[in-house]
Amino acid sequence: MSGRVLVVDDEVEMQRALRAGLGYHDFDVRAVGNGVDAIREAATWRPDVILLDLGLPGALDGFGVLEALRPATRAAVIVVSVMPGEKDKVRALDLGADDYLVKPFGTEELVARIRAVLRRQVDVSAGEPVVRAGDLEIDLARRSVTVGGRTVKLTPTEYELLRYLALHAGKPVTHSTLLRQVWGEYAVGDKYNTRYVVAQIRKKLGDDPANPRYIVNEPGVGYRLES
Amino acid sequence: MGRLVPYSIAVGGVIAITLAIAIVTSLANVAGLSAFYLLLVLWIAARWGRGPALAGSIAAFLLYDFFFVPPVGTFAVRGPSELFELMVLLAVALVTSQLAASIRRARAASETLASDSRVLYELATAALRTPQVTAALSMVSERALTLASVSRFALVAVDSGKEATVLVGSDLTAEEVRQAAWAHENGRSVGIAISGGEVKLMKTHPGAATAAYLPLAGGVAVMRIESNRPELGELRMLGALIGLADLLLDRRRAALESERARGFEASDKLKAAILSSLSHELKSPIASLRAGLTALLAPQAGLQPEQQELLVDLDRQATRLDRLVGDMLALSRLEAGLELDREPHGFAELVGTALYQLRSDLKGHEVAVKLADDLPPVEVDELQVGRVLTNLVENALEWAPASGALAIGAVARDSVLEAWVENDGPAIAPVDLDRIFETFWTRRARGSGLGLAICKRVVEAHGGTIRAENMRRGPRFTFTLPLVRVTARP
Repeated sequence: MSGRVLVVDDEVEMQRALRAGLGYHDFDVRAVGNGVDAIREAATWRPDVILLDLGLPGALDGFGVLEALRPATRAAVIVVSVMPGEKDKVRALDLGADDYLVKPFGTEELVARIRAVLRRQVDVSAGEPVVRAGDLEIDLARRSVTVGGRTVKLTPTEYELLRYLALHAGKPVTHSTLLRQVWGEYAVGDKYNTRYVVAQIRKKLGDDPANPRYIVNEPGVGYRLES
Repeated sequence: MGRLVPYSIAVGGVIAITLAIAIVTSLANVAGLSAFYLLLVLWIAARWGRGPALAGSIAAFLLYDFFFVPPVGTFAVRGPSELFELMVLLAVALVTSQLAASIRRARAASETLASDSRVLYELATAALRTPQVTAALSMVSERALTLASVSRFALVAVDSGKEATVLVGSDLTAEEVRQAAWAHENGRSVGIAISGGEVKLMKTHPGAATAAYLPLAGGVAVMRIESNRPELGELRMLGALIGLADLLLDRRRAALESERARGFEASDKLKAAILSSLSHELKSPIASLRAGLTALLAPQAGLQPEQQELLVDLDRQATRLDRLVGDMLALSRLEAGLELDREPHGFAELVGTALYQLRSDLKGHEVAVKLADDLPPVEVDELQVGRVLTNLVENALEWAPASGALAIGAVARDSVLEAWVENDGPAIAPVDLDRIFETFWTRRARGSGLGLAICKRVVEAHGGTIRAENMRRGPRFTFTLPLVRVTARP
């Protein structure tokens, strides 16, 4: 078994298709159709990944489920939605979702995303001190950054931002999270600050914004470090 | 009461006093009885004003001269002392009548003013309390029509759309309404003006035959003033009433505007809600379809290669359907005029994001991106402009020969960024260069015909332009985007 996946989606056809598709890829799958069942199943069955549709019927929608789940479960949550507004994506990520996927998607892409969040869980629990993205190495213990062996000097702010992205490599990090993490809880600023600092980091890493290798822009949401 | 009555009373009173003096002087020799005439003249002046008092004075003068000044029985005067006595009588009569008359006028004027203020106060209170502005305006109009010189008083509201609505005075002709709208639009009054709270008739006042127009904040007052020299008090009253009407019309306009703003907001929310529920309804079945079709592609599903091929074809069709639905929804969103989320962005990052999203389609193609390092930032909606770039790159990919080259570039010109995407595919027929941006027009048999239409809408929503042209290498699409204004950021 590759892991346990809980599918939360109110469409029976979707449940059936995902049960079959993920089952073929060796996942153990259960599916529920509403938020209350999702929270109960998350607590008793203890899945590794929860595939959560934001548009659930009833009083408890996807955001409500996310809020209820987050302190209680260590499962990775991939939020799924039909044409989500960017605000929905940001809200879900800020509520603790690990990734989002826009419907419709193919099974192959879904499996790749699930494997990625599972891999990240393992990395984080292993406490690996060096994060790599291509030839970029971020040594969190020694606070050093190298590209192809060449040491890159970053300002404290630039390093903080890169460190936070590295700690969550592969996961989209929202502008608001970066602002809070890098500039502090009461930071006054906007997306323009993070954009400016990312532009400086890219310049020092020799990363072309028109063809980024390390830091990828998530339009309307934030940034993600390739992993 | 007839106008001659005060005169008759004046003359009759003088005759009565003359008789009384005659009786008294026949009994005893009493001097200075002519003072009784003065009392009478004073009383008449106070009661009816100067005219009757003057008539009384002259009558007293003549009768006293005739009956009591020697030689009695003639109007002749014997000596200077008698002449002097007569002149004093006349002068005192004239002066006192003048004084009394002016006091009387002042009292009458202050009474009118007090009653005018009371009327206005009551009217204004009632009008401002009335929730329906039209009803309040009718009250003002009714009051104006009680003025002797005003024979018509209508109010026409002119809203921001230049549409004129008759609020009070249904007897206006279409021509008069047009004239009122004209007066409002040009801010020109016709025939009358208002200054210092008082209505003034202009030299061009057309007289009673045609209407005069006075533009106000939210409309026009249309009125007919009968007399060419109306009373001052009436003009003041009319001025005050017009001021009140002005206030009410302005209140009406403000209420309409805030109502309209609420309406727009509500309709924007409604449009967004309909589009979002429509996307859900259209996309959910496609989502199940794709999840199911691709689930069966796993080797563990145990399908034969030709069955798998069929599934791949079907999934491609489902993806196309998804794309078509997405394009149509994006276009309706643009047509619904939902707001852009503009922020400063580096153009290089926008290009990088688009190319990253299309990275699997771009495999095997060379993409040359030529952007200067010092390109100033653009102020755009990131997601919408991202859509323009992905649409243009996809379009270029479609026409570029296998492993063909794509080029993307941009330069800053004045206050805009001019960017282009070109490929080395076949030229576009000259007649099609403009049509290519029309909705549902496509060169391809399988295209949705919406991609370039969306590009045009997005670019134009940002105040830019887009055009297609044939370069030596192949077709080029050039569009402009607004640069961040230097003052926008410290």
